[in-house]
Amino acid sequence: MSFLKKLTPPENWKFPVLIISAIFTGLFLFSFYISNAPSYLGDKPETCVNCHIMTPQYTTWNHSSHRSVTNCNDCHVPHNNMVNKYFFKAKDGLRHATVFTLRKEPQVIFIKEAGRKVVHKNCIRCHDNLITDAKLLSYNRETMEFRKERNCWDCHRETPHGRVNSLSSVPWARVPLPGSVVPAWINNLVNANSN
Amino acid sequence: MKSVQEQIREKPWLGWVIFIVTVVVVFFLGLLASSIIERRSEAIFAYSPEIKFSQFEPRNAIWGEIFPREYNTYMKTADTSFRSKYNGSAMINMLGESPELVVLWAGYLFSRDYSQGRGHFYAVTDIRNTLRTGAPVAGVASPQPNTCWTCKSPDVPRVMNEKGIAEFYRGTWETSGSEIINPIGCADCHDSKTMNLRISRPALIEAFEAMGKDIGKASQQEMRSLVCAQCHVEYYFNKKKTEGVQYLTFPWKNGTSVEEIEKYYDEAEFSDWTHSLSRAPMLKAQHPDYEVYLTGVHAARGVSCADCHMPFISEGGQKFTDHHIQSPLNNIANSCQVCHREETERLIMDVNQRQDKIAENRKILEQLLVRCHVEAKTAWDRGAKDDQMKEILTNIRRAQWRWDFSAAGHGNSFHSPVELGRIISGGIALAQEARIKLARILGDEIPYPDISTKAKAQAYIGLEMEKYRTEKKLFIENVIPQCLKEGAEREKGY
Repeated sequence: MSFLKKLTPPENWKFPVLIISAIFTGLFLFSFYISNAPSYLGDKPETCVNCHIMTPQYTTWNHSSHRSVTNCNDCHVPHNNMVNKYFFKAKDGLRHATVFTLRKEPQVIFIKEAGRKVVHKNCIRCHDNLITDAKLLSYNRETMEFRKERNCWDCHRETPHGRVNSLSSVPWARVPLPGSVVPAWINNLVNANSN
Repeated sequence: MKSVQEQIREKPWLGWVIFIVTVVVVFFLGLLASSIIERRSEAIFAYSPEIKFSQFEPRNAIWGEIFPREYNTYMKTADTSFRSKYNGSAMINMLGESPELVVLWAGYLFSRDYSQGRGHFYAVTDIRNTLRTGAPVAGVASPQPNTCWTCKSPDVPRVMNEKGIAEFYRGTWETSGSEIINPIGCADCHDSKTMNLRISRPALIEAFEAMGKDIGKASQQEMRSLVCAQCHVEYYFNKKKTEGVQYLTFPWKNGTSVEEIEKYYDEAEFSDWTHSLSRAPMLKAQHPDYEVYLTGVHAARGVSCADCHMPFISEGGQKFTDHHIQSPLNNIANSCQVCHREETERLIMDVNQRQDKIAENRKILEQLLVRCHVEAKTAWDRGAKDDQMKEILTNIRRAQWRWDFSAAGHGNSFHSPVELGRIISGGIALAQEARIKLARILGDEIPYPDISTKAKAQAYIGLEMEKYRTEKKLFIENVIPQCLKEGAEREKGY
């Protein structure tokens, strides 16, 4: 309680502090709302196209066979434990958000080393039976090092996004983008005036 | 502690610090917020082009100026070189392949001419050329209403928008000859503002309403089938809805299975025509592609029409939907093999096997139905009474409805082989039931007619084919150029 007391401004400071912190909070909540922030806690693939530059990734996944068994997070965040999942997601997400806000995104997005490891482990998580032989009890190098240490997509290069992923590779793709920030009633007013 | 006012009075710089810190924080938070808004607004334009034409622009080439890849692949539907074992994009004379069909449709225009359709590019050409639309030359009316145009062209929503839905359907087919000139294309499925998929035909919207569903709630993935379901469905022309209008209606009120649609027609006491040999009140199935697809395993797994018939393709670093709508058998790599890891030959074999097995029993049912009609005719000739024949005729109606429901769809026997097997075996039982009852009346074996060729079958039911063909030639040579001229004149004003 004494800590809280220290934070509480003296009587005469209360009013300006109230106003200023309300401005900060309001602006913060506004950003929170328009950036669709709560969606980042979930696993919906629609969340990833909150940023429209993920459209090539979304639409290629949506035209692949993986769309019926995976979402983005199934492959792109770790699943060994809950803490690691959200830690990685927060870390990666904040990096994405920073790059996106600063408009530093490259024309062709390539996966980073940390992400690469995660995806590779997730390939194995589901396709374990394809690369190891359940009948064999002994460790052998053919099924372990030789197979697991190469990237799956060194050979399966089209899976699942295809080989071209530049920002302009999917013109006019129909993906569930978050839509207009302008409220419907303003749109209606504008349209009514222009007609 | 002193009050703020007092502290600032003593140290004026403190006031400036508070002021500047607030300005900086608000500035950057505001910048962040406006950046988010900017980038979200960007998203609205990034994948939607700026369109200058209206939703009712019927000329596909105009849309094609902005969407060259989609347009170029769409234009490939003009290619008729691919033939699969049973279908493909080539025109196949179905009456020539199975002369039995001539007898099954005796008394109905389908007995004159029925061909496996070509690609969308030919939609308008082929409806002009078919003998079923007659030869409306010099004041003679077509036997068909304007309703027949509904699925053929993006001119249809345009005219519907100008005249109203029922008014579009009103009148005989030739009266819209100069209005409907562009083949099925962009405006039939796309919204011109957003390029999202869009339902342009009222019949599908009305059918959903009749089932108590709202088509507006369909997901993007469902829309990738529903835009096809605007046309690739069973339908009929309802004469009871609006006076003097044959109103295009999908008989889905009770559901979309073969029995539910049959129940709908029975309740409406509807028949497409009365068979000229057996006098049975017949139903003609159109092409219940969507209804049959719904019963198949691909639909159950959430695969849409576009997933196989319009797959994603790569071309020069760009990925887009292939608008060359065609049999996936001509493009196994981009359709089947997205999910199935088997070899191309093996996959084609799998499809053919299913089609072969369905075709085997469908052929048996076809021949049984020929016998039914011929035997019923003989029974009438020998003086059978109405009450003796009533049940027999109902059986024939039901059996042929099942046969037609299976045969009329384009890829039915692959889309849902199990359902088709069920429908055809039900049809065989009904046809044999009719023949057992006929045998009780007739007492002797009625010979199977010689209908080994299309010409023989058409002569058998008394068609004067030469006459129809000559008249049609006159129509194509004299009326069509006039329609095209008037249409082109009209489009100059766009």
